[in-house]
Amino acid sequence: MMAFYFSRLVEIFPFFLKGLWMTTQIAFISLVSCTLLGFFLGIFRSGSNVFLKRIIGVYVAFVRGTPFVVQIFIIFFILPDWGIQLKAFPAALLAMAIMGSAFICEIVAGGIESISRGQWEAASSSGLTLFQQLRLVIMPQAMRVILPPLVGQYVLLIKDTSVVSVIGVMELTRVGWVTVVRIPEGLMVFSLVGILYFVISYPLILLSNYLERKMAL
Amino acid sequence: MIEFKNVDKWFGKLHVLNNINLKIAKGEVLVICGPSGSGKSTLIRCINRLENIQKGEIIVNDIPVHDKATNLTKLRADIGFVFQQFHLYPHMTVLQNIMLAPINVKKIAKNEAEKIAIEKLEQVGLTDKSGAYPAQLSGGQQQRVAIARGLAMSPEIMLFDEPTSALDPEMIGEVLDVMVNLVSEGMTMCVVTHEMGFARKVADRVLFMDEGKIIETGKPADFFDNPQTERAEDFISRILTH
Repeated sequence: MMAFYFSRLVEIFPFFLKGLWMTTQIAFISLVSCTLLGFFLGIFRSGSNVFLKRIIGVYVAFVRGTPFVVQIFIIFFILPDWGIQLKAFPAALLAMAIMGSAFICEIVAGGIESISRGQWEAASSSGLTLFQQLRLVIMPQAMRVILPPLVGQYVLLIKDTSVVSVIGVMELTRVGWVTVVRIPEGLMVFSLVGILYFVISYPLILLSNYLERKMAL
Repeated sequence: MIEFKNVDKWFGKLHVLNNINLKIAKGEVLVICGPSGSGKSTLIRCINRLENIQKGEIIVNDIPVHDKATNLTKLRADIGFVFQQFHLYPHMTVLQNIMLAPINVKKIAKNEAEKIAIEKLEQVGLTDKSGAYPAQLSGGQQQRVAIARGLAMSPEIMLFDEPTSALDPEMIGEVLDVMVNLVSEGMTMCVVTHEMGFARKVADRVLFMDEGKIIETGKPADFFDNPQTERAEDFISRILTH
């Protein structure tokens, strides 16, 4: 019996590795883009331009207040009605970037706002430009506040990549779905899926815990 | 060197600066005092535009500070500002705090900036603390580093916003000593403070404010011994009886 299971496992494993590779690609590309976009938005969200602040606030509220699946459906099924036709892979990346950047934006804005006004005033009254103030004085301090929840958010985002399976991207979860209709060992299939997600998430969970302890000092 | 012409400023409905006219000459030491909420901090914060004004003109070194088009970087590089709460950068050492603006604003080479920083630390008597972080220093030491940080830009004007108000009494002296030395070097200074001993000793002029207006101005001896207005008299009697 065990031998049978094992041979099944060997048989399906390459297929899962392909799914894992796709998940890793989506996760990596979207984490990078979420981070860039999230920091960009977060800096303006905490800035002094009221108009930009409001606009970003609406964006964040909308993204955080709707289910991710619905956002993916809108991008993949509704945008084509307006002439924007995306293949599943880029649609998945776009959806991830929009969703993730909204969460990261709030983390970044919160971190920047935790720095006292006096730091801005000291930096600006010494003649530093706004960008220098941010780069040299504010962000190095804000990163202590931002990093632990940011890495925590990365873990959530990696797991959220499983949702893009609904539009047919052949990532890990989709591979699980496709496999389980062909072979009867459902428990084994989804355990394997779970373990593979865990393998990429867990190091980040450890990193988040480590940063939380280190930054608290 | 610094000139206020008919300056008005409101925080919402509160009229914090009410038709301020003021000239400060090069090398002058001006002490500004008055009850809390009288607008004295706001007044000096307008000089390097940490606060915007709504009406009037402020000219510093021929630069129109009130003009929105003015490049503040250049203006601020020439004005040192010392805060009540020091506002040192906690993630940098004392030396890095002092070198930051010279390197990034004046584009001075790093080793040159370090030389200047050490020189300024000597001036405030803290050469042994160059590698320390702000959190490892006492309040008085932090404020002296903040002064050195301001001086490192070789400013023409130094502004002090209640520099000793956040300090324990035994540390006030060391900060005032540094400031007295600056006066003897001919620095143009505006100091918001309640340290009347300091004002008597080094101020060229004392300016008394209340409710956003300049109520009285005069030589320190005249102001303290012979105030012209009832409000000033009342204020002096109250800070001196303690």
